[in-house]
Amino acid sequence: MSEEEEEKEEIGEEEKKASLLADDLASLENYIHDLFSFSPLPICFVSPIGVMLEINPAFEKISGLKSYELIGEPVEILFEKNKIKKVSEETLEKGEVEGVEMELFPGKENNVPIQVFTRVRRDEKEDIVGYFLGLFNMSKIRETQNELKKSQVALMNILEDTEDSWRAAEEEKKRTEEIIASLSDGLLLFDKENRLSLMNPQAEKLFGIEESEFIGKSVLDFFQYSELRPLAATLGRKMERLFRKELKLEEDFILEVSTIPLMLKGKNMGYLVVLHDVSREKIVERMKTEFVSISAHQLRTPLSAIKWTLKMLLDGDLGEITKDQREFIDKTYVSNERMITLINDLLNVTRIEEGRYLYKPVLQDLCKLIRGMISSYEPEIKKRKIVLSYSEPETKVPNLKLDAEKISLAFQNFLDNAIKYTPEGGKVTVKIVCDKKEVVVSIGDSGIGIAQDQQERIFTKFFRGVNALKRETEGSGLGLFIAKNIIEAHDGKVWFQSKTGKGTTFSFSIPLIQNI
Amino acid sequence: MAKKILLIEDEKIMINLLRKKLTGEGYDVTIARNGEEGLETMRELNPDVVLLDIIMPKMGGFEVMQEMKKDPELSKIPIIIVSNSGQPVELSKAKELGARDWLIKTEFDPQEVVDKVVKQIGR
Repeated sequence: MSEEEEEKEEIGEEEKKASLLADDLASLENYIHDLFSFSPLPICFVSPIGVMLEINPAFEKISGLKSYELIGEPVEILFEKNKIKKVSEETLEKGEVEGVEMELFPGKENNVPIQVFTRVRRDEKEDIVGYFLGLFNMSKIRETQNELKKSQVALMNILEDTEDSWRAAEEEKKRTEEIIASLSDGLLLFDKENRLSLMNPQAEKLFGIEESEFIGKSVLDFFQYSELRPLAATLGRKMERLFRKELKLEEDFILEVSTIPLMLKGKNMGYLVVLHDVSREKIVERMKTEFVSISAHQLRTPLSAIKWTLKMLLDGDLGEITKDQREFIDKTYVSNERMITLINDLLNVTRIEEGRYLYKPVLQDLCKLIRGMISSYEPEIKKRKIVLSYSEPETKVPNLKLDAEKISLAFQNFLDNAIKYTPEGGKVTVKIVCDKKEVVVSIGDSGIGIAQDQQERIFTKFFRGVNALKRETEGSGLGLFIAKNIIEAHDGKVWFQSKTGKGTTFSFSIPLIQNI
Repeated sequence: MAKKILLIEDEKIMINLLRKKLTGEGYDVTIARNGEEGLETMRELNPDVVLLDIIMPKMGGFEVMQEMKKDPELSKIPIIIVSNSGQPVELSKAKELGARDWLIKTEFDPQEVVDKVVKQIGR
């Protein structure tokens, strides 16, 4: 090969190389362009004086502007002026900045929180030709952060609320404890296994014991302690439900015991036992009863003396009296009789209250007793021109356990009222009926009746109907109270129906099988 | 000869009234103001009937009856109780101790006392 040829070949080689290099370069440029376009990070190339020279599609996307709208524009228009200025200066000085936080389109609606990354670009002479500005979209992270913050606040609120409710519950608990401790009633709390879980100071005082000794003990255990035995006996092994049951610990030391089951959503959670000290009330009650009893007895002596004196005057035992004198003495005698009746009523009431009332009830014929009572009213009935009708069952009514005197008194009170409050010419009906279970006696009248609003109180001690008061000034208001107690002492029941102006029917029943 | 009644009673007005009434009916009435006095008088007097109050100072009616029951002579004398009260318990106790009859002052009157005396001993 000639030298020339060799030279030619050499040149050809050079050209080939250059063309290959040019190809390589073009492909590299393409590669870079593709990479630049592909990058999901918004990137912008900025000149040293801050003019945007090139932007990638991601940058178009985040800014919402096309590249022709941005290229040639100062980068400041997109960011906070002083911040981007600082970034530029720092980049040119140090070569790069990393993660500076700022906003794209600050103050505008479409603003985006971002982080900024930069790096300078130099030419072959190491002169700075500009810098790359990469943006990292922070909005997702911000959103997450905000949500986290909100969650944190919410959590804090919940915590605070919980603490508040805990504090409130604690306060409530303290207050309840305080109330229980300062209650004047004794309280015992039993859990569902009937074990003592609380005893307030008042209960400790009533029994002279300490709560700590008895916590966790059951009612059965209580039987072993002399202080608590009477209470245990009252409560019963099975903790029956009690309402104000009397428990006499000593003479003049009386408690009322009530048990209240504690239910939570239909489940038994245990029992609350309330101990109410009624000693004082009982003493006062007894004193009152004694007082009435003694004064009534004391009153009977002078009343008898007056009665007998008047009677002897009227009978002429103390000499002749004039017609005028007789009239006055007659009236005085009647007044005195009323007083005696009132005193007897009071004594009956005190006996009812002292609980010693019925005297040895014996089996006897109720109808016969009632017929006898009615016949004693005949003169009065005739005088008042009242029509009295009486009926009893055709077959004999079984004998009942009766305190004849008391039953007579009860019936007398009903019949007395029927006659007294029925106008002249009115009707009074006495009817006895009997079934397999009980005997029922009804005393009906066509009298003044009892006003609806007063019916509830009709059996109350000393109560008198307003219309009855207008009609009859006498009357102690004790008759029906006594009658009701007598019938109930015979295991019976008393009820009535009444209409003002139409009349009243009182009825009482006595069961054929009495537990007396 | 008039029949003898011993009235054992502490209430002065009742004594006066009953004495008047019974004397008027032709009886011979002797008074004792309490149980003790009553028992003493009874032994001397040997009355046909005793009218006896229950509540009295010194010795009450029930104690008088107990004493009378112990004494064979006195236990024969009929007793009529004249009392302020008339509770069934008291009535049955009096009956046990031998009382023949019972009067409650507020419920009876002097004529009825006479009637009961007549019933026991006649005129």
